[in-house]
Amino acid sequence: MQHIQSIASKPTASKSFFSRYLDMKRERMAHSWQLAKRNKTCYLFLAPYAILFFTFFILPIGTSIFYSFTYYNILEPARFIGLQNYVNLILQDEVFLTAIKNTFVIAVITGPVGYILSFLFAWFINELPKWLRAVAVVIFYAPSIAGSAFTVFSILFRGDAYGWFNSILMEFGIIEAPRLWLTDPNYMMTILIIVILWMSMGTGFLSFVAGFQGIDRSMYEAGYVDGVRNRWQELYHITLPSMKPMLLFGAVMSITTAFNVCDVPRALCGYPSTDYAARTVVTHLFDYGFSRFEMGYASAIATLLFLVMILCKKAIAGLLGRVGT
Amino acid sequence: MSETNTVQSNGTLKMIDGKKFRGTLQANEIGAAFYQKGKAEPVVEWHYARLHRMDNIRRGGTSTQLTVILKDDSRYIFELDHGLKVYNYMDSHWADKPITPRTRGDELHRLAELRGEKIQVKKHLITRRHPNRSIAGDIGIYLLLILFGLAMVFPLVYLIGSSLKPLDELFRFPPPIWPSHPTTDNFSDLFVTMGQSYVPFSRYLVNTVFITAVGTFGHLVIASMAAFVLAKYEFPGGKVFFAVVTTCLMFSGYVTGIPNYLIMSKLGMIDTYWALILPAFAAPIGLFLMKQFMEGLPTALIEAATIDGAGQFRIFWSIVMPNVKPAWLTMIIFSVQSLWNTSAATVIYSEAKKTLVYALQQIQAGGIARTGQVAAANVIIVSVPILIFVFSQSRILETMASSGIKD
Repeated sequence: MQHIQSIASKPTASKSFFSRYLDMKRERMAHSWQLAKRNKTCYLFLAPYAILFFTFFILPIGTSIFYSFTYYNILEPARFIGLQNYVNLILQDEVFLTAIKNTFVIAVITGPVGYILSFLFAWFINELPKWLRAVAVVIFYAPSIAGSAFTVFSILFRGDAYGWFNSILMEFGIIEAPRLWLTDPNYMMTILIIVILWMSMGTGFLSFVAGFQGIDRSMYEAGYVDGVRNRWQELYHITLPSMKPMLLFGAVMSITTAFNVCDVPRALCGYPSTDYAARTVVTHLFDYGFSRFEMGYASAIATLLFLVMILCKKAIAGLLGRVGT
Repeated sequence: MSETNTVQSNGTLKMIDGKKFRGTLQANEIGAAFYQKGKAEPVVEWHYARLHRMDNIRRGGTSTQLTVILKDDSRYIFELDHGLKVYNYMDSHWADKPITPRTRGDELHRLAELRGEKIQVKKHLITRRHPNRSIAGDIGIYLLLILFGLAMVFPLVYLIGSSLKPLDELFRFPPPIWPSHPTTDNFSDLFVTMGQSYVPFSRYLVNTVFITAVGTFGHLVIASMAAFVLAKYEFPGGKVFFAVVTTCLMFSGYVTGIPNYLIMSKLGMIDTYWALILPAFAAPIGLFLMKQFMEGLPTALIEAATIDGAGQFRIFWSIVMPNVKPAWLTMIIFSVQSLWNTSAATVIYSEAKKTLVYALQQIQAGGIARTGQVAAANVIIVSVPILIFVFSQSRILETMASSGIKD
């Protein structure tokens, strides 16, 4: 305490800018320290979570970045090789380029489309009477929490005539013989995108539904008095601005699902898939990490993915900053 | 109005038709009245009205606006200068009792009728519920919802249908969506197949239930403790920590899978349940939702308890936790959903420790002949998270209302 007072009592006018800056810093540090001391039990509360979070979320990211500059196969100690992994990834690994292309196509289509569909359906559902709303939320949300339920698509799109989709198309005479929907590289991506879209009404969708219900009706009434004539105007001028936080949350969730596609192609198209046609960045990462044990290389893939996801989130936060203004 | 328990606050009254009055709001259990400055007669008076704090107050922690909802659902908005007083008596149990139209107002109506009094209710100002909605738009929305709803539900219905199909219908051309002779053979076959396997089916089930239960419980306690201090106290590092957690919402278990494997092998956790349970304790989504929800708890609640001499842990355990039950359910469903659906093939090797989803994948590997059994196993696995959601939907939505990310 005495220390702070002595700083505060000194005349500051005669000092240079730099030393005044240092004083300010020191004062702020002392203040933080006081605050930290007063709230020491807070750190006790935080500690169990923080330790686990650090071990299983922060440390892995750090480890990934570290190993991405090394050659590491678990058996031998890691050997520093600089940027070699990244160079190999981009210049030599053709499968990785396929994986990037696929992930990019999936992310660009399912990310924004899934996001917009989530929002639209949350909005539509909000216009329903209450009891119907509860039913509709379950119907749209169920696929995303149903976990392995998507494997039913391997029955629906089965390659023989007993597959539902084949049989429908043959019934109507659109195709003559059954098509191999899940093993023919020409169809794989389309089917993957359909399945991922089916599962995309997830946590973000739920957040939107809740966001719509949370807006106070008096704002709509005020809007009506001010001349909001239809639902589109109401959406743009009243609803969207008050839902910005949910929109950002939904976007984060969309990025997560769009970039982390892994289970769906592995379960439906096989692992590895024909001609690597359904390979994504994450399945590529799994291949190198858990099948070939080239941990350094796999870490480089993971690091690139982290970077891309963070950049995406920043870009979307920037875009959303302008909504409704 | 009786003098006991009457609270008052200065502020502005906004009528729906645009008129504004400055004055004092007085309220007690029986009703509320708004007095304009220097006038003895109230501008408006409500008897048996239900007072309702606006949702944004719940999130912001300070009450600046107050909405009065009458029995016929008409509303008046107050902007209060010192709103806390009104909040105190109104609904301190808001968190575990969502406000529904049939509450205090109705009760008072009943009592008044018993006493033979006349009930005064002001006319409401907007008659149509949706004055600015076109009929064509409504029809369009219903059509779209029905169309897409059918598309969403079709694969799940087909899955249930397949699990009930007898063998001849599974391989009929064209395949029926719903079996004409439903049977539970697939389910009993499933248990026969699993009974013959090296590890009995019940073992997989016990493993999954154990991992899910312990993981979810620990997550609930540990993440709530962290969320509590992050939401309600200001200390150096707290904000930065939360920002890091928010960023980590994006990174799924797949991307961190490989370094996690390395770390777990260093800690000797590979091939133990801990490899699944401990990371689940620290799932960012649970902390995130809980913290956002707890921010909506009135700070006054905690301040009052601190003045009464309650320690931080007592405040957390007996004041905060009982008030955030909706958020519990939400954490539980997210945690159960991820743990229940985990196959864990990368961190667990022993057959006796593997999970239900892993067993399902093994049956699936049995090929086309097992189609019916796979569907049956899938139905069993899928129904758990969906049923939990169906029964806790309203609570979960209440939590998700505070899920937004503010930058």
